Amino acid sequence: MIASVAVVGHQNNPLYLQSFTNANDALKLHHIVHCSLDVIDERVNNPKRSVSTLNESYLGLLYPTESYKVYGYLSNTKAKFLVVTTDLDVKDADIRSFFRRFHAAYVDAVSNPFHVPEKKIVSRTFAQRVSGIVKAFAAGTNG
Amino acid sequence: MGREVAESCFDGLIIEMVSAYGRRFYATKPDLASRRIEAIGFQVGHQLIERYTVERPRFSDHLEAIKFICKEFWSELFKKQIDNLKTNHRVGTFVLQDNKFRWFTRVLIDPSSEDNEASQGSSSEATSMLLHFPCGIIRGALSNVGISCAVSADASNLPSCESGILVFALKFSI
Repeated sequence: MIASVAVVGHQNNPLYLQSFTNANDALKLHHIVHCSLDVIDERVNNPKRSVSTLNESYLGLLYPTESYKVYGYLSNTKAKFLVVTTDLDVKDADIRSFFRRFHAAYVDAVSNPFHVPEKKIVSRTFAQRVSGIVKAFAAGTNG
Repeated sequence: MGREVAESCFDGLIIEMVSAYGRRFYATKPDLASRRIEAIGFQVGHQLIERYTVERPRFSDHLEAIKFICKEFWSELFKKQIDNLKTNHRVGTFVLQDNKFRWFTRVLIDPSSEDNEASQGSSSEATSMLLHFPCGIIRGALSNVGISCAVSADASNLPSCESGILVFALKFSI
């Protein structure tokens, strides 16, 4: 199941962090997201072998640890989306569609004229949409 | 999920916004009015480019980003593409030319002329105020993909703006 999601702006400032486990582990979440940012930077700045990875938005599995995996996605406007999941086997297609919906919700939240760019996203609609997408993802992988 | 609005409402909104800023809010300070209009355009462009680059792979260099602005971005906004793109690599400037700018087809320049030169001057002033908004949109869109530049516009062939040619000049600060 998905433990948490995060959106980070292009100056590596956190825009949205939400954890879906019941424990109070905000600090650990911040730490995981921070470490993943380094991996993203490394992937973007040093393209390995093929040039196509430089232009793709979906970055795939960033790094696995013993209890969770982190997936990354980079938009054209340098907004980074991160998903921390505790599932052991997750299909690539599922995660890609999750990021697509997550990105769409983010675009709608940022188009709000009252949203200040590069500040935290405070929209409740966005939070509800993200929770909905996470629940749909969990239902999709279980059922 | 989106609802649609008639384009004439949008035209009316832009014309009224420009005239409100130019004549009512900052009537004595046209520079300030133009900067505010450009700032509104900046935020609009910033948010629009987020929406229009969703499924696209990332741009590898400035030229690709400018080509995106000329083609997809312009056709989303104005239902047509930029007609002509010239670059000057040495100096870092790009010139975008639009031969039939959609927002101008609805702008009516007041033909009352007690004094011919004065009316010519004020009509070009009115259109130049109007131009700050699309300049801001382009600047905002480019800044969100990481390219900072200065945008200026020039409309030739006034006052018959219907057949007027609109030229945007982008200068990069790298």
